[in-house]
Amino acid sequence: MSERTGLPPLDPADVPSESRRNILRMMGALGLGSVVAPGVLAGLDASTHAARAAVQPGSPVEPLQFWIPNWPDMIEIARQLGESWKRLGISVQVKQGTLDTWTAEIIGQHQMPHLAAMSWGGAPDRIDPDYFLTEFYNSSRLAKGGMNYGQYDDAKFDAADNKQREEIDDKKRQQLVFEAQAVAAAAHPSLVLFSRNYIQAYNNKRFEGIVPVTGSGIAMPYIPWTYYKMTAKTSRKLVKTTSIYDIHTLNPFATPEVYNSSLLRWIYPTFVIRNEQWDLTPWAAESFKVIDPTTVDVVIRDGMKFHDGKPVTIEDAKFTFDFIDKWKFPSFARVTSTVGSTEIIPPRTLRFHLKQPNAPFVANVLGFTFIAPKHIWENVASAGNLKTPADYPNDDAVGSGPFKLGEWKRGEYLFLKANAEWWMAPKIDGVYWLVVPNLENQMGMMERGDADLLGWYIDRKQGDMLAKSPDLTVVSTPSHGLHEIRMHVTMAPLDDPNLRLALQQATDRQMLLDLVFGGAGVVASNSPIMPINKFWSNPNIPNPAFSIDAARKTLEKAGYGWNANGDLLHPKG
Amino acid sequence: MELWRYIGNRLLQTVVTLLAVLTLMWGMFRLIPGDPTTIFLGSGELPPDALAALRHSWGLDAPLYQQYLDYLRNLLTGNLGVSFYYRRPVLDVLLPMLWNTILLMGVAMVLATVIGVVVGAYLGWKRGQRIETIGSLLVLIPRSLPIFWIGIMLLMVFAYGLGWFPIGGLRTPAFIPETPLQQLPGYDLAQHMFLPVLTSVIYFLSDPLMIMRTSMLEVIEEDFIMFARARGLHERTVRKMARRNAIGPVLTYLAIMVSFAFGGQVLVEVLFSWPGMGSLMVNSVAQRDYPVAQAAFFLMAIITILLNLLIDVLYVFIDPRVHYG
Repeated sequence: MSERTGLPPLDPADVPSESRRNILRMMGALGLGSVVAPGVLAGLDASTHAARAAVQPGSPVEPLQFWIPNWPDMIEIARQLGESWKRLGISVQVKQGTLDTWTAEIIGQHQMPHLAAMSWGGAPDRIDPDYFLTEFYNSSRLAKGGMNYGQYDDAKFDAADNKQREEIDDKKRQQLVFEAQAVAAAAHPSLVLFSRNYIQAYNNKRFEGIVPVTGSGIAMPYIPWTYYKMTAKTSRKLVKTTSIYDIHTLNPFATPEVYNSSLLRWIYPTFVIRNEQWDLTPWAAESFKVIDPTTVDVVIRDGMKFHDGKPVTIEDAKFTFDFIDKWKFPSFARVTSTVGSTEIIPPRTLRFHLKQPNAPFVANVLGFTFIAPKHIWENVASAGNLKTPADYPNDDAVGSGPFKLGEWKRGEYLFLKANAEWWMAPKIDGVYWLVVPNLENQMGMMERGDADLLGWYIDRKQGDMLAKSPDLTVVSTPSHGLHEIRMHVTMAPLDDPNLRLALQQATDRQMLLDLVFGGAGVVASNSPIMPINKFWSNPNIPNPAFSIDAARKTLEKAGYGWNANGDLLHPKG
Repeated sequence: MELWRYIGNRLLQTVVTLLAVLTLMWGMFRLIPGDPTTIFLGSGELPPDALAALRHSWGLDAPLYQQYLDYLRNLLTGNLGVSFYYRRPVLDVLLPMLWNTILLMGVAMVLATVIGVVVGAYLGWKRGQRIETIGSLLVLIPRSLPIFWIGIMLLMVFAYGLGWFPIGGLRTPAFIPETPLQQLPGYDLAQHMFLPVLTSVIYFLSDPLMIMRTSMLEVIEEDFIMFARARGLHERTVRKMARRNAIGPVLTYLAIMVSFAFGGQVLVEVLFSWPGMGSLMVNSVAQRDYPVAQAAFFLMAIITILLNLLIDVLYVFIDPRVHYG
């Protein structure tokens, strides 16, 4: 599991003794590698200051420990970077593991080696710049469980970032967002590589009116305009989409996971939704208005009905927020931390009083919350003798959205039926989300006509293969998600910004993108806000051009040297 | 009475074994980095205090010995707990998957055992003849191939190539029968089961078959067979006698095979999009869903241990020479 692939093998000098290494090997063979190896191998349990103190001036720079999820793209990226950086005299030791172990160690425990790679998907709430900026770099996220596991801590960044979150004027906010990005970029806390495209396919003989949306592709459930707008070309109006996942709950208060919550939002529509160009537009709301920085009015749409026939009222809307406040559902922390109270202004307006100004409120709170039927939820906890309504299975989910629950066969499919009473009723009869864990099978089902939309994403070669079928159209959609390698900015030797800059210069992003994804994507600038996110991406902070020479010069200028073997040496005091 | 004392002793051993298995599993799941709140990390904003509150409400901040005792107490009262991931009682999560697995693996194992016993006995009977050599080889080749490779090959030929079978899944959603054949009850399910069952049978077949063959080789050397022949009994009758005497080791092996089939066939499940126990076990470990993982592995341990017990006892009835005491 943690065995290295195609990379320099363990350097005996790094491990205390031969016998210890054998024990580690044995444990690795037993699959225990990920449990034991990282801390022991890199001496990570020692404090990072001790690591810096232990550095002998003029001694060889220690190998960089690099933790990656065991995906083919990451393995290839780590291999290539190992080759590139070898030309600087820096060696890399890669540790692989499953995503969940990576998450538990890196985010949960901040057991951060020198480098940690991750691919962040293009979820809708990551369009607002607040998400990546704050989660990655704000000092409030330095605690274990926070995503600032690179330990980047800069008061100047915090100031700009905290201000942008409270600025509700978009133009002014844009300047603050640019400033925060520029401050972070100067410190090189991360090697942001690129965003990959989502390559997907649909059956053009059966359906038309497919809508590509940046970050959501043509078939993913996040911003699902395809399903709201597509039309059938044959008499079969049932759409079959393949997916790697299944949902795990029908309870919209329970789930923290974006795939699951996005699909449930088809049943429980949000107040606002992003349109095809990412503009925030009313959905279950008829209109919304920011009255002042801490007051927002939402008028709910007239004439909406729950799927059981009862009318949707403004009381239901208020109930939902009181309910969230009462039970403090963990996945609704973004609501409980921003909404102070709500009040009804008859007949159909809900007024939000915010705890503090919150620029992402409309996008990430009104674009995330929904109206739950009071008559169903108010007593579920007491009636079912549950600790929290989040434990209610909600097997007959009743929402008010464009789709209603047809049937959920766990592990097989989720069937959502179109709701003809929704104000913008779908033109199809329903969607089957088929759980097909094996991507090759998804492709096979597309080729055979067993599925109409490929709901996961494939690489370019696979796309070219599917495109050979005249029935299939392959669509490549950009995303604001990113491949990124965080650097531990307080751990020697990466606590030296010159070394981080040199690594930036010795990273050939275009080559990596070409190699790993056939060039289907966009190279990043020196910011987690992707250039595709035009309004928020600072255009003035490109990554340094790839040049090993420039990188070596950077190191030389900072006092580093090389020994006869070409190994990089620390500056001589 | 000897038998009853034997069964009593075995039951006692079983309880001790189960307790050991439980404790080991409980400890191992907690050795894996992370806990059930890990699924919340990195997916959205979950401030540390919300995380802590969640840990508390799930009892994950209690001392480990406390959690262990609670677990044992709940288990004794038949309470398997609530899944952290699916947010519903563990049995609700487990049973549908268990049924899917029994459906697939049950059919595969019955077929593999019946074919294995019949063909194995035949090959053993034909010892030294060319048909035995060829037959053994034909069985051993697929046994040495990875099961997913067999599955992929069958998919390529019968699903992609000839188009006779679906690529995966348990059923066709919104299935509308068109031909009279398709209107037969269970047609759609049988069609979906065919390739995964065939894959598993090919894979499982060789063990019962080769065990039966070896056992048969031993039995036909015995005096009673020679005696039966000397009495002038029909060849087929003699073979039947030998077969009955040779079947013991296959039964013992069944217990092992069942536990393999129960959890070990993740690859078949993934390859054929078949939602079963294997995938559930792998996923529940990945999601750190302790209650589901523990219950699933516990179930597997119980099935294996009880089957062993059952088969040991059954021996008495199958082979009257066996005595306990």
